[in-house]
Amino acid sequence: MFAYIIRRILIMIPTLVMISVLIFTIMEWPPGNYFDTYIAELEAQGEAADLQEIEELRKEHGFDKPPIGRYFHWAFGLLQGDMGYSFEYELPVNEVVGSRMWLTLLVSFVSIFFTWIFAFPIGIYSATHQYSWGDYGLTFVGLLGLATPNFLLALIFMYFANIWFGVSIGGLMDPEFKNQAMSWAKFVSILEHLWIPVIIIGTAGTAGMIRRLRANLLDELQKQYVTTAKAKGLHPFKALTKYPLRMSLNFFISDIGSLLPAMISGAEVTAIVLSLETTGPLLIRALKAQDMYLAGSFLMVLASFTVLGVLISDIALALLDPRIRLQGGSTK
Amino acid sequence: MRVFNKVLIAAAMLAAIVSTQTTVSQAAEYTGPPSLLDEEMAGKMPGVSERLPKNPRVVNLKAMGRKPGKHGGTMRMLIGKIKDIKLIPIYGYARLVGYNEKFELKPDILEKVDVKEGRIFTFYLRKGHKWSDGHPFTSEDFRYAWNDMLTDKKLGRSGLRPNLQVDGKGPVFEVIDETTVRYTWHAPNPQFLPALAAPIPIYLAMPAHYLKQFHKTYQTKEKLAKLLVKNRVKKWYKLHKRMAREKKASNPDLPTLSPWVNTTPLPADLFVFERNAYFHRVDENGNQLPYFDRITMSVGTGSLIPAKVGAGDADLQARNLNFVDYTHLKSSEKRSKYKVLLWKSGKGSAVTLLPNLNVKDPLWRKTLRDVRFRRALSMGIDRHEINQIMFYGLARESGDSMLPQSPLYKEKYQKAWAEHDTKQANLFLDEMGLIKRDEDGYRLFPNGNRVEIIVETAGESTLQSDILELIQDQWHAIGVKLIIRGSQRDVMRRRAISGLAVMTIWNGLDNAVASPQMSPSELVPSSQSDLQWPQWGMYVSSKGEKGEKPDLAPVVEMLKSAKRWSKAATTQEKTKAWQEILEIYSDNVFSIGIVNGALQPVVVKNNIVNVPKEAIYAYSPTAYFGVYMPDTFWQSKPLTK
Repeated sequence: MFAYIIRRILIMIPTLVMISVLIFTIMEWPPGNYFDTYIAELEAQGEAADLQEIEELRKEHGFDKPPIGRYFHWAFGLLQGDMGYSFEYELPVNEVVGSRMWLTLLVSFVSIFFTWIFAFPIGIYSATHQYSWGDYGLTFVGLLGLATPNFLLALIFMYFANIWFGVSIGGLMDPEFKNQAMSWAKFVSILEHLWIPVIIIGTAGTAGMIRRLRANLLDELQKQYVTTAKAKGLHPFKALTKYPLRMSLNFFISDIGSLLPAMISGAEVTAIVLSLETTGPLLIRALKAQDMYLAGSFLMVLASFTVLGVLISDIALALLDPRIRLQGGSTK
Repeated sequence: MRVFNKVLIAAAMLAAIVSTQTTVSQAAEYTGPPSLLDEEMAGKMPGVSERLPKNPRVVNLKAMGRKPGKHGGTMRMLIGKIKDIKLIPIYGYARLVGYNEKFELKPDILEKVDVKEGRIFTFYLRKGHKWSDGHPFTSEDFRYAWNDMLTDKKLGRSGLRPNLQVDGKGPVFEVIDETTVRYTWHAPNPQFLPALAAPIPIYLAMPAHYLKQFHKTYQTKEKLAKLLVKNRVKKWYKLHKRMAREKKASNPDLPTLSPWVNTTPLPADLFVFERNAYFHRVDENGNQLPYFDRITMSVGTGSLIPAKVGAGDADLQARNLNFVDYTHLKSSEKRSKYKVLLWKSGKGSAVTLLPNLNVKDPLWRKTLRDVRFRRALSMGIDRHEINQIMFYGLARESGDSMLPQSPLYKEKYQKAWAEHDTKQANLFLDEMGLIKRDEDGYRLFPNGNRVEIIVETAGESTLQSDILELIQDQWHAIGVKLIIRGSQRDVMRRRAISGLAVMTIWNGLDNAVASPQMSPSELVPSSQSDLQWPQWGMYVSSKGEKGEKPDLAPVVEMLKSAKRWSKAATTQEKTKAWQEILEIYSDNVFSIGIVNGALQPVVVKNNIVNVPKEAIYAYSPTAYFGVYMPDTFWQSKPLTK
C-alpha cells in the first residue's frame, strides 16, 4: 500500500507539469495579450494610451521574450506559492482570489450537502420501490433538475424570489452588508440568498447521484445473499444497510476526485447569472480579458485539486473496499 | 489682583462673544450638511465657511429650472465590473473648466480663466479652496503636476498629451502667485480648454502635499524603499502612478476636488463614496453641495443589472441599461417606486456599420474603398423599417452625423445617401461591374466569389444582431449577402486592427452634439480603435511610426481640415474646418449610420429631485450625468420598502 501511494504521488509530478504546459499553451494561443486589450480599452475611453508605459509593462512581465521564458517564470512562481500578478486588478493573484475563497467554499459545501441529503434517501427509496409511482415521480423531478439548464433555473428562481419574498436580486447578501464584518443580520441575509444557488447547483447533481445509487443498489438487491438474508427473517432495514448499501457506495467515494475542484471553482455559469461573489465569475472574466496569470494560476489550482482528489479517492477506495486490488492481474 | 482677574475674564468673554458672532454670521451665509455636524462639534473638522473657498461657485438652481434642496441620503448605483468606479469622477464632473447644460465652457474649480490670442491662458483659483483632506489647493499643486509629473523624466516619459502641444511644442508654464498660474503657447491651442472639460480630463493640478511622499525628488531614499516594499512595486514612478490615479478613483487616500471621495480600497464588491466636505459649490441658499451624503456602487454581473434595477436596487441608473430593457423597467415602475426617463443618446448613430478600409484581402480592400459600394450599401438599408421595428419609431433615421442639438448640424449630412433606394443602389453596384449573380440572386465578384460580407459584432447587444438580421433581408434586394459573426469585443477589435475583419458593427460617433470648440478628431483617423480605418488611425496617433499612411484622397482632405482646426484661433475658422470634415465624411459614407437620437433609459427613484426629464446621455461631452450635476440631485423623503 505504501509503495502504491508513493508511486502515485510521483506520477502526479509529471502529470502536473504536463497540465501546466497545456494550460499555458492554451492561454497563449489566442492572438494578442492583455496589453492589447488594455490599449483598446483606453482608446475606447478616448484616452491616449501611454505606449511607453505599456511597453515597459510588457518587458517587466516578459512579453518581449519568447513564451517559454514566461512559462518558466510563471511555473517557478507557482512552486513558491506565487500565483503571479493580475493585470486587470493590478494586484497579486493571491489577494484577488483569496478575497473570494470564503464564500465560494460556503456555497460549495452547502450545495454538496444539499445534494447528499436529497439524493441519498431518494436513491434508496427508488431502488427498493422499483417501478412504483414514487420511483417514477422522484426520478422525473430529479431528471428535470438535470435537464433544465442551470442559468435558466437561476433566472427563474431569482425572479420569483424577488417578487414573492423580496430577496434582492443576485449576490450572496443584501448590498448593504457587502463590506461589513460578520454579524447576525449579515448571516441571515446570506442564508436568505444562499438557498437559490444551493438548490440550482444541487439539483443538477442530485439526479445523477439518485440514478447511480439506484442502479448500484438494484444490482446488489438482486443477489442471492440478499434473498437469503430476507428468507432468514433479517429485518428489511438491516438486510438493506448491512451489505447492499455499503457495496453500492463505491461511486460515492470515487466522486471525491471531482468534488475537490468543484468546491473552489463555485459553479461558474450559475455564479455569473446569479452574480455571486465567488471565484467562478473571476475566472471567466480573466479568461475573457486575457488576464493570463490570474486565469492560468486558477486553472492550475483546479487541476492540482483534481489530481489530488483522484488520488485521495483511489486510496480511500482501496482502504474501504477489500475487493479492490492494488496490482493488476486476476486471481481465480 | 482680583480686579486684574475680572478684567481678564471680561476680556475673554468679550472675545468669545465676538468670535461666536462672526461664526453665526458666517453660518447664516453657508450651511453644511447635518451629517458632518458631529465631527464639527467634536472639533475634528472646521465649520462649513472655513471649508468652502472664500468665493464658492454658486449654482443657481431656480435659474436652471430646478429646486434647491436639502442634504442627506445615499444614492445607490450598480456597476458591472470593478473598473467602473472610474464613473465617479466622471459623474462628479468637477473640472477646472467644464461644460454647462448648453455645452458652453464655464470655469468651475477655477474662479476665472483669461484667454488672450487663443494661446495665453491665465487661470485664477478660488482663494481658500481646499482638497478633500482639508489641505489648501494652490498654484503649488499646478506646479507639482506640471514640473514633477507631466514633464518629469520618469513620470512624463511618453511626452505631453497631443492636446497640450501645438506643432509638437508644449506651453511655457508660470506660477504668477499663490492662486494664479499661466500657460503660454507660441500659437493658438483650441484643444486646451476642451481637454480640461473632457469626461477624463488632463489633470493639471494634483495634490502635491500627498503625492510628494512617493516622489524621488521629495522623499528620502530609505522611506521610498520602504514604501516600495510595502506596496510590492519595483520602481518609485510606478508607485507614484498607482497612487496618483485620480481618474480611476482607485486610491482612497488620494485627495480630490470631486464631490464624492472613494473610501473603499480594491478589490471589493461594494464601493462607498463619501461626500467631499470641502467641495467648492453651494446652491443659492448657501447649502454646500453635494446634497447626497454618499454614493454606493455595488459590483455584480453586468447583464443582471436591468433585472436588479427593476427590483428597485438602484436609485439612479443608466449604466448597463439599454432601450431593449425599457418595457421590463417600465413594468416594474410602480412596484419598485421609480420612474424611467428616456434620455436621448448623444451618439451619431445607435448602431453603425463600419467598412474596414484597411482590410487585408486586396479584393475587399478595393471594393470597400470604392465610394459607390459604400453608398449602395447605405441606400440598401430601409432605415424606416428598422426604426419602426426596433425603436417603435421613436428614433431618427439618419446617417452617422451630428444631431440637431449640435450647432454644426445640417440636414444635408443627416440625409446623405441615407434614403432607402434599392434601384439606385443596384445601379451603383452594376456600375462597379458586380453584374453576375448566382442562383440565390446574390452578386458575384469577377473571380466568381459571392459578394458576401461578414459583419463582426462584439456580441454584447441583441439590438445589434437584431438590426443586422433586418439588414440581411434588405440587402438581399441589392444582391449582397450579409453574414453575422458574433464575437467578443477585444477579439473583434483585434481582427479589425489586423485587417481580418471586413466589416464591424459598433456605435456611431460618440459625440454628435459637438460644438465648433470641440475637437473633430473623431471623424478623422486618430487612433487604432477607429474600426473603419484602424491602420490609418495608428499611423496618425503614432506620428507615422506605426500603421499605414492614409492614401485615400477624401481622408487626406479631412486630415488637412482637422489640421486647420487645430490651428484656428476664431470660432469662425473652427466652424469652417468642421463643416468641411462633416461634408466629406457624410458624402463618403465612411460609417453607415442607421438611426440616431435613440433613447437611453434612465431610472430614477421617485424621491430623487432635480434629475432632468429630458437630456442627452453621452460620454462626451456630457460626461454621462456629469454636466447635469448629480451633486444638485437630492432626496425628498426616504421611501419605505
